[in-house]
Amino acid sequence: MNTLIKLTNLKKVFATDEVETHALSEINLDIKQGEYVSISGPSGCGKSTLLSILGLLDTCSGGSFELNGHQVAGLDHKQRAYIRNKEIGFVFQSFNLISDLTVEENVTLPLTYRKDLTKAERKQMALAALEKVDMSHRAKHYPAQLSGGQQQRVAVARAIVGNPSIILADEPTGNLDSKNAELVMALLDKLHAEGTTICMVTHDPRGAKRAERIVEVFDGRIVGDTQAQVAVA
Amino acid sequence: MLDDILYAVRGMLKNPRFAALTTFVMTIGLSLCIYMFSFIFNTLSGTIPLEDGERLRKVTTVVNGVAYDGTSVRYQEYLDIVNQQTSFEFLDAYDTYTVTVSTSDRAIRYSSHFVSEEFFKVSEAKPALGRLLTKADSTSNERVVVLGDLVWREMFASDPTIVGQKVRIDGKNHTVVGVTEPGYRFPDFAQMYMPFKVESQGIAREDSNFVAVYGVLKEGVSEQQANREMETIFAEFARQYPELNSTKIGFVWTFQMEKIGKGGDALVLAMALAVLFILVLACVNVGNLLLSRAIERNKESAIRTALGAPRSVLIRQLMCESLIISVLSGCLAVLIAGYGLDLTFDYFLNSLPIEPPFWWQAGLTQTSLMITVVTVLSTVLITGGLPAWRATKTDINAVLRDGTRGAQSKTAGLLSKVIVGLEVTLSCALIMLSAAMLNLVSKMNDADYGVAVDNRVAARIALPSERYGKENIERAKQYYQSLEEKLTANPAIETVTFSQSLPHTWGIFQNISVEGVDYGKNPSYPGSNVSIVMNNYFSAMEMTLLEGRFFNNSDAAGTSLNAVVTKNFAEKHLAGENPIGKRIKLMEMDNAVVTIVGVTNNVIFGQPFEHNSDKASMFLAYQQFPRLNMNAVIKSASTAPATHNPVSLLNKAAVELDADVAPYSITDVQAGIDSRLSGMNFIANIFILFAISSMVIAFSGIYGVMANSIVQKTQEIGVRRALGADNSNVYNHYLMQATKQLVAGLILGIPAGVLLIKMLEQGSMAEGSMLVYVGVPVLISLVIVLAVVLPVRNALNMEPSSALRHE
Repeated sequence: MNTLIKLTNLKKVFATDEVETHALSEINLDIKQGEYVSISGPSGCGKSTLLSILGLLDTCSGGSFELNGHQVAGLDHKQRAYIRNKEIGFVFQSFNLISDLTVEENVTLPLTYRKDLTKAERKQMALAALEKVDMSHRAKHYPAQLSGGQQQRVAVARAIVGNPSIILADEPTGNLDSKNAELVMALLDKLHAEGTTICMVTHDPRGAKRAERIVEVFDGRIVGDTQAQVAVA
Repeated sequence: MLDDILYAVRGMLKNPRFAALTTFVMTIGLSLCIYMFSFIFNTLSGTIPLEDGERLRKVTTVVNGVAYDGTSVRYQEYLDIVNQQTSFEFLDAYDTYTVTVSTSDRAIRYSSHFVSEEFFKVSEAKPALGRLLTKADSTSNERVVVLGDLVWREMFASDPTIVGQKVRIDGKNHTVVGVTEPGYRFPDFAQMYMPFKVESQGIAREDSNFVAVYGVLKEGVSEQQANREMETIFAEFARQYPELNSTKIGFVWTFQMEKIGKGGDALVLAMALAVLFILVLACVNVGNLLLSRAIERNKESAIRTALGAPRSVLIRQLMCESLIISVLSGCLAVLIAGYGLDLTFDYFLNSLPIEPPFWWQAGLTQTSLMITVVTVLSTVLITGGLPAWRATKTDINAVLRDGTRGAQSKTAGLLSKVIVGLEVTLSCALIMLSAAMLNLVSKMNDADYGVAVDNRVAARIALPSERYGKENIERAKQYYQSLEEKLTANPAIETVTFSQSLPHTWGIFQNISVEGVDYGKNPSYPGSNVSIVMNNYFSAMEMTLLEGRFFNNSDAAGTSLNAVVTKNFAEKHLAGENPIGKRIKLMEMDNAVVTIVGVTNNVIFGQPFEHNSDKASMFLAYQQFPRLNMNAVIKSASTAPATHNPVSLLNKAAVELDADVAPYSITDVQAGIDSRLSGMNFIANIFILFAISSMVIAFSGIYGVMANSIVQKTQEIGVRRALGADNSNVYNHYLMQATKQLVAGLILGIPAGVLLIKMLEQGSMAEGSMLVYVGVPVLISLVIVLAVVLPVRNALNMEPSSALRHE
């Protein structure tokens, strides 16, 4: 399998007037295409920061980050936005659906930033994505009219609608009850089974076990990187 | 309740900048509202403080669309109106003149009213000394006078024995029968009163005196009904006397509206609307600020509700803050408005060419204070009640359970869109109106009157008819010639000329007819300003000869009557024809026929409104049309010493020629023009204040609401960026959203502004232009763009991950 993400000695430092906080230090991590990686660790260990850097939502303070063989460090805002749109799909803990937009409009949103698609194509792709998460019947509803689980399924549809190279999920079940959490996790399993690369941050051990590889982070460093069956064993 | 107030005070003290901002905005809104209401009520729309004040009306005329106040009805028309009308229970006439009161050592001109006994009854006058005029005085041969308080003090040093003494008025002895109380000056600025003795027997209708007509409407008769009746009566006059009345209609209105002239209703309405807009803007802004504050406290409200607090208690608590802000702002506004009213009345007393009318009340009245209380209570309800109601409508379960971040709620988003749209509408209409007024005033201040006005002093001179009138008219000619010679003998004086009207005075507009033109069976004759001038007037006033010649010594009495007309006269009345040699009949001057001998540049008589600027004018030679009353214009030499005083030279020369003739209304010509425009400038200044206030309130409100809504969407911006939006996508998205709000606001605001401008244009109170119609919306659009771009830029300066975490 090709290496999709390669992090070498990556670090992230948050500096305030008085304090310098090392959120990530000497992170070395490779993620191959088709992998299902979970990043776990206690609250505040730096896993969400790592996911933000992976998703080009934040920049690193040092080290190197290669995405699909290309260095990310030298990219400008426009190029980073382009990569986020084409290569990355996000699923957030708090769903982050836009309340003013309908379900269909929310799912279509990433496609509206692409110039190579017609309106009809966008609509078709959005409905197909909603179909995948079994939410096409609520296409005209607003997020506020959905349950938490349904909102997160819509968020998953939005993440996959553009056929990204990788889905980055930040605590995707953190705001859900166990039943809805199971539904969303099953959805991610299904996507992975279809070949989608998934990188999920979670501090829930049961969620982490769904992945085929578990990366453990503690105090900003990777302290474990194991295959899931080993972890289960 | 006290606990709620203390809690609200504590909340305000915790965020003093917020409290100061809301109080400031509300104080501006309330101050302008109270000030403007008080100003309108105290000067224009309040009831005249007399027993019959509610039903007291003036009857005036509108000629060629221009409303004339004061003495504008012919005495014989007045007699016909009295016989035909049924709307008034009482109708009376009076006349006004300026007379010279002279003592052994001085002569001063005073405004005198010639009135009936009823005049004093209606105006509830009381004598401070002696008695007022009676019916017998009007029929008696004895000359009597009631002095006003000012004349009594100024001319006679408040002599307590003045009653019964003889005083010299216009060269004749009059017996003082009384002195009016201080402050009495019904209906205008009369300083003394003499019996009304107008003769109609044997006098042709066109020669009859113009009088002022007023009356008391019958109970139950409206102004509209009286107006309809007056229209009918004047329509009959026009049928019977087309040469005098074809372009004249009768008009019934209040004394207050007569003072501000045609278009006064529109002006009052525009002022009231403008101030209402500002108050609404202030309420919208404060309400919005309080709403966002209430929403911030959603969780606190939810906890209180969970602990058993009924909704009414929560609303009361949230409204306390609005109550404190509104009451505090109301108190500050009363002080500011009261101070503003004092300044305004001082301004009028010192700047206007006339004394303020007797019904004007300076300062805040009881009615103003009552309106203040009602307004403050309304603002409490609007600014506090609605946000409190909205904020306490939230689902407490959702609030207490919701730990997720989300974009602004749909309802809150809709509310902010409505608020921005409303603010755009109101500010657009108001700023357009103010800009149109400024546009007009600016044009008026820069108007070209067609004559030179700098370094010139003007004065009115009125020769007494007893010694200069009719068979003694040659003495009048001699007087003016001697006065010119005496003055120009002084090397400090370059030129002296005389004319019937000057640019800063009103022109005398008359019906004319062009010889050879058929005006039909029911003629509607054209009109022209007519001014009688000395031969040297054109050179003295630096006018330009365009065709033919100016007057010279050949234009003497007994020769063919000649006229010089302005360019627009030739264009309007003699289109396409050579004006020289054309003969014009003067319908209101004994049908005299004059021949045009010259064409000069256009001139403006009166205020430079469009309807005045367009008027054609005609000049007649003084030697052919001698008059007793003329305006002197004195131009000082450029080499005149610094101590040179043309006014004292004029007074000295006048006293030497005739001790009973005192020049009056002496003023620098430019100052006279400025003075005439001062009322308009004042109103324009008020509207500038409106415009600035509305801009401050509206722009801060628009910026605040837009910026706040975008700040609330910081997380949404993070989401959009996470999904692949680049900076231009984000800018475009929010600019597009803002454009929709802007367009919605402008769709209502621009027509509203145009409508208000058109309303005021009818009364020559404003003038729209493309700059106004386009510039104001562009200015508002720029504010909207800034309100979007700045907060979006701030959000874009964050890393998307920070934006996603933004609270």
